[in-house]
Amino acid sequence: MADTTPTSKAFWEGLTPSVSSGLASVAEAGRAALDRLPVPTRRSERWKYSPLTAMLAQPLNSPEAPHGIPEDVHVQPIPGLDAYRVVLVNGHVVTEACDFPVAEGVICMPLFQALDEGRLQGGDADWSGYHEREWVGALHAAHAQDGVYLELEEGVTLDRPLLVHHHVTGSNVAVCPRHRIVMGDQSSAEVLVWHSSSSEATGMVNALLEGHVGRGARLGLDKVQNEQGKIFHLAHEHVTQASDSTFRVHSMTVQGHWVRNELNVAQKGRGAHTIMHGVYLPKDQEHVDNHTTMDHTVPNCTSSELYKGILYDRSTGVFNGKVFVRQEAQQTNAYQQNANIVADQGASINAKPELEIYADDVKCSHGCTVGQFDDEALFYLKSRGIGERAARALMVQAFIGDVLAGMGSEEVAAEVETLLSERHGWM
Amino acid sequence: MLTIKNLHAQVDQTAILKGLDLEIAPGEVHAIMGPNGSGKSTLASVLAGREDYEVTQGSVDFDGSDLLDMDASDRAREGLFLAFQYPVEIPGVSNLNFMKAAINAQREHRGMEAISAKDFLALVKEKSALVELAGRLRDRSVNEGFSGGEKKRNEIFQMAMLEPKLAILDETDSGLDIDALRIVSQGVNAMREAGRSFLVITHYQRLLDHIVPDHVHVLSDGKIVKSGTKDLAMELEEKGYDWIKEPAV
Amino acid sequence: MKMANEEDKILEEVTGKAYEFGFTTDIDSDKAPVGLNEDIIRLISSKKNEPSWLLDWRLKAYETWKGMTEPEWPHLSYAKPDFQAISYYAAPKAKKELTSMDEVDPELRKTMEKLGISLEEQKRLSGVAVDFVMDSVSVATSFKDKLAELGIIFCSMSEAVQEHPDLVQKYLGSVVPVRDNFYGALNSAVFTDGSFCYIPKGVRCPMELSTYFRINEAGTGQFERTLLVADEASYVSYLEGCTAPQRDENQLHAAVVELVALDDAEIKYSTVQNWYPGDAEGKGGVFNFVTKRGIAHERSKISWTQVETGSAVTWKYPSCILKGNDSVGEFYSVAVTNNMQQADTGTKMIHLGKRTRSTIISKGISAGKSQNSYRGLVQIMPNADKARNFSQCDSLLMTDQCGAHTFPYIETKNPTAKVEHEATTSKIGEDQIFYCLQRGIDEEQAISLIVNGYAKEVLNKLPMEFAVEAQKLLAISLEGSVG
Repeated sequence: MADTTPTSKAFWEGLTPSVSSGLASVAEAGRAALDRLPVPTRRSERWKYSPLTAMLAQPLNSPEAPHGIPEDVHVQPIPGLDAYRVVLVNGHVVTEACDFPVAEGVICMPLFQALDEGRLQGGDADWSGYHEREWVGALHAAHAQDGVYLELEEGVTLDRPLLVHHHVTGSNVAVCPRHRIVMGDQSSAEVLVWHSSSSEATGMVNALLEGHVGRGARLGLDKVQNEQGKIFHLAHEHVTQASDSTFRVHSMTVQGHWVRNELNVAQKGRGAHTIMHGVYLPKDQEHVDNHTTMDHTVPNCTSSELYKGILYDRSTGVFNGKVFVRQEAQQTNAYQQNANIVADQGASINAKPELEIYADDVKCSHGCTVGQFDDEALFYLKSRGIGERAARALMVQAFIGDVLAGMGSEEVAAEVETLLSERHGWM
Repeated sequence: MLTIKNLHAQVDQTAILKGLDLEIAPGEVHAIMGPNGSGKSTLASVLAGREDYEVTQGSVDFDGSDLLDMDASDRAREGLFLAFQYPVEIPGVSNLNFMKAAINAQREHRGMEAISAKDFLALVKEKSALVELAGRLRDRSVNEGFSGGEKKRNEIFQMAMLEPKLAILDETDSGLDIDALRIVSQGVNAMREAGRSFLVITHYQRLLDHIVPDHVHVLSDGKIVKSGTKDLAMELEEKGYDWIKEPAV
Repeated sequence: MKMANEEDKILEEVTGKAYEFGFTTDIDSDKAPVGLNEDIIRLISSKKNEPSWLLDWRLKAYETWKGMTEPEWPHLSYAKPDFQAISYYAAPKAKKELTSMDEVDPELRKTMEKLGISLEEQKRLSGVAVDFVMDSVSVATSFKDKLAELGIIFCSMSEAVQEHPDLVQKYLGSVVPVRDNFYGALNSAVFTDGSFCYIPKGVRCPMELSTYFRINEAGTGQFERTLLVADEASYVSYLEGCTAPQRDENQLHAAVVELVALDDAEIKYSTVQNWYPGDAEGKGGVFNFVTKRGIAHERSKISWTQVETGSAVTWKYPSCILKGNDSVGEFYSVAVTNNMQQADTGTKMIHLGKRTRSTIISKGISAGKSQNSYRGLVQIMPNADKARNFSQCDSLLMTDQCGAHTFPYIETKNPTAKVEHEATTSKIGEDQIFYCLQRGIDEEQAISLIVNGYAKEVLNKLPMEFAVEAQKLLAISLEGSVG
């Protein structure tokens, strides 16, 4: 069959190659892979619901480092949150806006600095190998920018959450932030990655986060996407877990023109526990895709996944959750649930909850629903004097409430809820 | 309080109410009895404003306003309360948030300020004790995981919170054991007062031993075919509903 | 762990059990030379004395097929068949038209008896009308006269082409078009026979119609084509059974089944598939690459029920296009895989009409080193107001060497639709087995009981005669195979 794969060269040709010498080999491998790998289109199974065609229509450029803090950036976007802070604009760390944690056993600095200091040696520069396998990963690696490096030594607890605020501004920009989190054994931290952009911003955010959660350690990660403008947001997170560790992640898409989240978690030690939760409420013609892979490779682990979405207007949603249970992973307990409400004619959801199981002594289940707000419940609320709008708001809050409740801090959950309320006019 | 004239209503093109007349004065308790399928629950749904029910003829005046002209939430804010036969479970919506939203909707409607958290909690404490639900509503979603009896008690609790002018109890006795029936009836009786009317819909007479009505009506084939005092309920209990149908002309 | 050793032994014993239907029938067969080209297609068409439109249709299908590639997306790994090493036509040499059962070749009769579907027996006991397809050619159809009285046509596809060309031409390829998929296109080019059935308006077919397919000849591919048309307000229940002899090399089976349910009609299509699955090492066995699809018009209903225990590799998705308003689609499936078997099976429910409803119940059972996948698509199109789907996909794992996978695709484009999908995977309950043992039931019987209970929701959908056979098959496939 004739290969109609669009050529991608024109799209990335004008971008600045990654400038970090510590990432040179990764960037080179990425560039080589870009020549080799086809651009994901509708014909590729993993991308059939989220082809990149629209993004490729416009060549992008690599934005310069900003001078100072742009006016429309609120360095602290969450009222009342007491947190350490790293601010990035277009993939560049804005040092004057940062408040890095400084404490015994806490190593936190810009990623490029960590590379220069030799903290990520040789093969350690990239953990996932995504840059050689996946076009999006290769695109990132070839143009990788700065980000956050956070390392906690054994037994250390980060006393306040770390807020990583990434802001995008400018036209047709290509931004590739790259983060690394290394949790020593028995350490503990809460990290909040907040993505914003100015309302005129256009282009691509291709964000990578790699993490390792050591033995008995605990990492909570809240990711909030609240990008205005026309941003194509491609996120890929790769996290491995050692024995008895806990990793919790919340992927909350408040706003985004076109979003693809890839979340890959692998449990490498017994007794690990993973929580993956997410919410998406796209409107207008927005597109939100959540691809998750939960890889159970060893015995006695658990995972719990819950994604909820409401699709408004002519928006589209995708949920593809894969649960792998390898042959050795006996006594796995894996649970996955995806619930969707298609709110308007013209909106659609494509869901693909997958179980791939090679061990027998396991308890695995998944469920997926597509439906509406319950008319009976709406009538019940109205019969108590609650108006249509308020009743619907209550129902929405009830629908996503269990996901919000599990977030790292009440302040962040409240801010997400407030932003959603304002955006969808519930108040 | 409530004046129903020649009310006709249908569901999915099937006529269910076929010319119903009823007049309830302030402070009165009326009971409507009737066999299954006679239209009892349809009447409750039509009065509360359920959308699937289409009124094809007739009028309903509620305390001087045209009831049929209002949507379900306006009717509630004007003081009409329906205790559901099958209260729906609403996972994720907490009982207290739900009641607070309802009370504030009513207060806003009356030009009052929103209730303070302190007053609200005091009110919850007082009213939940009435139906022996004190302390059991917090942290639970609306009707979720409630037993049949608890759901009915929650309905009465909500009625007590909202203090309606007219309360319609739709088969509130169905599925209740004798204790729950006693609690529910006590709750209702405690609320009886001069300005408040009740419409009690039931299949069985036993509820009327606890909530003694001023008037009893028999509904059959979408119309009220007989009206009387509490004695009528006793008669129905003895003779069954067939007795009503025969001398109907 | 002592228990585990004993169980392993039982497992070995039972999974080593020979395929009970593995025997060949030694009768003369008229076989085309191996390989596929236009001449072979012309040969098939002329042997069957086909009208020119059908030959043209076949040739067009062949052209289409040549431009297609084998699908890679199933969760299967197998050596792709060599399409030039297959003989595309093998007919038993009984040339004479058969007018009664007595004229059937005695060897063939013996085969049928061994299969436990002796035609007389079937006639007497269950009133099932049977079309027996052996190596692509329909051998005999019983009860034809009785059905003819009601205007029901039930005959071989070859006969239908001769006797009812208008109906065949109207509906052939209308549900599974030539270019639908790789194996469907191949089938359209080379199909040799199959069953044809037409139920006239308002007629309720008084008996179960049945086809028994059997691959007999070595090195042959079986490409049968079934077309079933239920005219307005008619009803038919159709059964399909399959067996193949035991051979070392893989045999290819690539059938196409098309169902048409016109307004208010109902079709129940049941399959018990027991092709040879290959031996314990995965040698031999049938490649079963089948396209089955029905189209449901207004208020009609199509119900697929399948019990899949055989074949080395299965690739099969009986589907419903719910085109008419208020039409209903159902899919009930039990798929058992043992040893080295691989199955990738499920369904597609395409909701086009308003208030269309579909139900999917899939029960997978994996044993040995087998891989068992459910793959299903539920698609709600923008106009399918108030469409409903419920899917339940359960997997039962019998050993720690096998795999059970679930790949549902849910695509919803309507705000009034409701779709619910649930899936669970679990091990056969040791406490359940122990409970049975404690009550004096032996392990094999316990497993049989538990598995049959697990699959009951589906087995109950089968017509009585088939349900019994299916239960036996499940027991044979799985006895003692707990890990």
